[in-house]
Amino acid sequence: MKLSIFTAFARSGALALASLALATSSLAQTVKLGMVNSLTGPHSTFDLPASEGVLMAVDEINRRGGITVKGVKHTFSVVSEDAQSKPEFAVSGAQLLLRDDAIKIVYGIMTSGPGMAAATVFGKNDVLYVGGFTLMDTILGKPGSDKMFRTLNNDATVARSFVPTSVKEMGLKKVGIMLPNEDVSRSIVAIYKPILEANGVQVPIVEYFQPDTSDFAPVLRKFQNQGLDGMLTGTNDAMVEAILRQTTELGNLPKKFMYRGGSGAPALKYAKQIDGFTWQILTRDLDNASDPKVKGWMDRYKAFTKKDISPNTYWALTYYDTVFMMARAIEEVGSTTDIKAITAKIKEMKYDGVRTMSFDKDGRAESDIDIGMLKNGKVTSVRASALQLQR
Amino acid sequence: MDLIQTLLDGLMVGGLYATVAIGVTLVFGIMGILNFAHGQMVMLGAYTAFFVVSAGLGFWPALAISMLAMGALGLLLERLVFRHTLTDHMTGLTASLGVIMVIENLAAAAFTPDPRNFDPPLPGSFQIAGLTLSSQRMLVLTLVVLLVVGCYLFLQKTRTGKAVRAMGQNRTGAALVGIQINHVTAVIFILGSAMAGAAGVLYGSLFAISPYMAAAPLMKGFILTVLGGLGSVQGAVLAGFLLGLAESLGSRYLSASFRDGYGFILLIVTLLYFPRGLLGQRGKFRV
Repeated sequence: MKLSIFTAFARSGALALASLALATSSLAQTVKLGMVNSLTGPHSTFDLPASEGVLMAVDEINRRGGITVKGVKHTFSVVSEDAQSKPEFAVSGAQLLLRDDAIKIVYGIMTSGPGMAAATVFGKNDVLYVGGFTLMDTILGKPGSDKMFRTLNNDATVARSFVPTSVKEMGLKKVGIMLPNEDVSRSIVAIYKPILEANGVQVPIVEYFQPDTSDFAPVLRKFQNQGLDGMLTGTNDAMVEAILRQTTELGNLPKKFMYRGGSGAPALKYAKQIDGFTWQILTRDLDNASDPKVKGWMDRYKAFTKKDISPNTYWALTYYDTVFMMARAIEEVGSTTDIKAITAKIKEMKYDGVRTMSFDKDGRAESDIDIGMLKNGKVTSVRASALQLQR
Repeated sequence: MDLIQTLLDGLMVGGLYATVAIGVTLVFGIMGILNFAHGQMVMLGAYTAFFVVSAGLGFWPALAISMLAMGALGLLLERLVFRHTLTDHMTGLTASLGVIMVIENLAAAAFTPDPRNFDPPLPGSFQIAGLTLSSQRMLVLTLVVLLVVGCYLFLQKTRTGKAVRAMGQNRTGAALVGIQINHVTAVIFILGSAMAGAAGVLYGSLFAISPYMAAAPLMKGFILTVLGGLGSVQGAVLAGFLLGLAESLGSRYLSASFRDGYGFILLIVTLLYFPRGLLGQRGKFRV
């Protein structure tokens, strides 16, 4: 059978087009990740480094060539919205992300006000949401939160190692609790007070103060002349530094502090005026890093962000390992859109990254933590295993 | 002993409130301009001190530089913005809200949102007659009393101060007897802003400062302006000390989680019995 020149040309063209389509399908595709974080405002102290951790992990995965899903290469891209440290902007940012049908996985928000607002939006949609804020623990395990993960250990888990370690290291016998009048403070007291008492420590006074307080003198007067040797306080660095400063100014107050928070920075300036200070490093201690994994991560962070390591840098590890867990789960499931299967895969995974990460059935983190200590003017830390915590 | 210490705490923090309220009362009470940006002067004054102290120049130069810088900024704002809104209070209010946004966001961009503090000139505490008192708090209390007295004497004894008071009584009448309204308006802005700058320095010597710190002093400044009587500097000062005492005593002996509420209770009760504020002039303003 003879083919006309025209027919032969048309068949060749069709063949070329089909080949091109096949070749295109084997080229890298993009998986869009969403991020809502307080990139501005007072909460950006936490959220900005946390968002850098996600971007860094995505960059590292993409540089390695991305992930392979059923033989097709995929890379990641990130769409970011600014919650501006305000719940209303967290909600609008979440809604903006969800307008894009391609976004099924969202990271972000370390603080409870904007976090709860955004999580409410994500809970009503078929989205895998990875957050870090404290009050997330109150919604995990409840209907609508089956695809949510909190990447930081909850208070109950942390307290089981933090309290005995602090009591032992500082020799505490009588402790007062002073916290801002917030929901999270009530839950902190409910968790820490029984554990303190179980470790032989008296807790004769619990005081709540107005959250935006700057002058702590009136409430600190309540702690004077009570025979206290320690104080449990929180919940952010600025507040705790103000409490420490005013404690040293007013006199006749405890000089040992347990900080339900993640930094030794509030105490460094007062190292000579206080007798002890412990804090919770929910990711890894970057100030006294001896683990090669941590050292390597710090070098990569500096290269990626062009920033030096600062006291808040360790929040960049909040989601970092979880991005790799998510990427591995997508590969193992063989789908970028089957959120239910990806969620289930992450929950059964144990990931030994910079942090040692795993999640329980409700999406709560069970991660190793470091406990920071300032004693005799020296800063150190000890590692507390997540496995030990659960016993 | 505990009561005396708490009273001194209250007087100290009340003095800080009074220092802010003087500026608000002068601008709002006398000129009728709602300058919401006054709180930003407190914040910028605190940051000026932070940078001056960090540069190693010390607390006292920081106080002087902050007062001068905020006075100059007040003059600039008066010339560029508020002079053009004197006859339209709503425009003035809107402009001041815009100024807040500009200053606050510029500060956040330039200084970062991280809270900062600087070392006080008198750290630690001292014992006297069985009382344990904070050295810096006592210094702040002394300084606010000096600032308030100095401001009062300026308004009472100097020719410019008398012109300010005359303008507060009757703006048109003051102009008719030859007072330079524009000149006095500028003086009021300079004085109020310098006092806000001083309050910022003293605030920063005790508490953490941040670009978002302006809201609380501003809100209390307006409460005190109403509580003391619109246009009454003495009233604002008295109200400042009363508010400080109410907050300290309430926080110490009742609940510290209701701290701001005590001020509003004081405001409501006072206005029920003194509708023109504590020292408001009869027939002038009634709240």
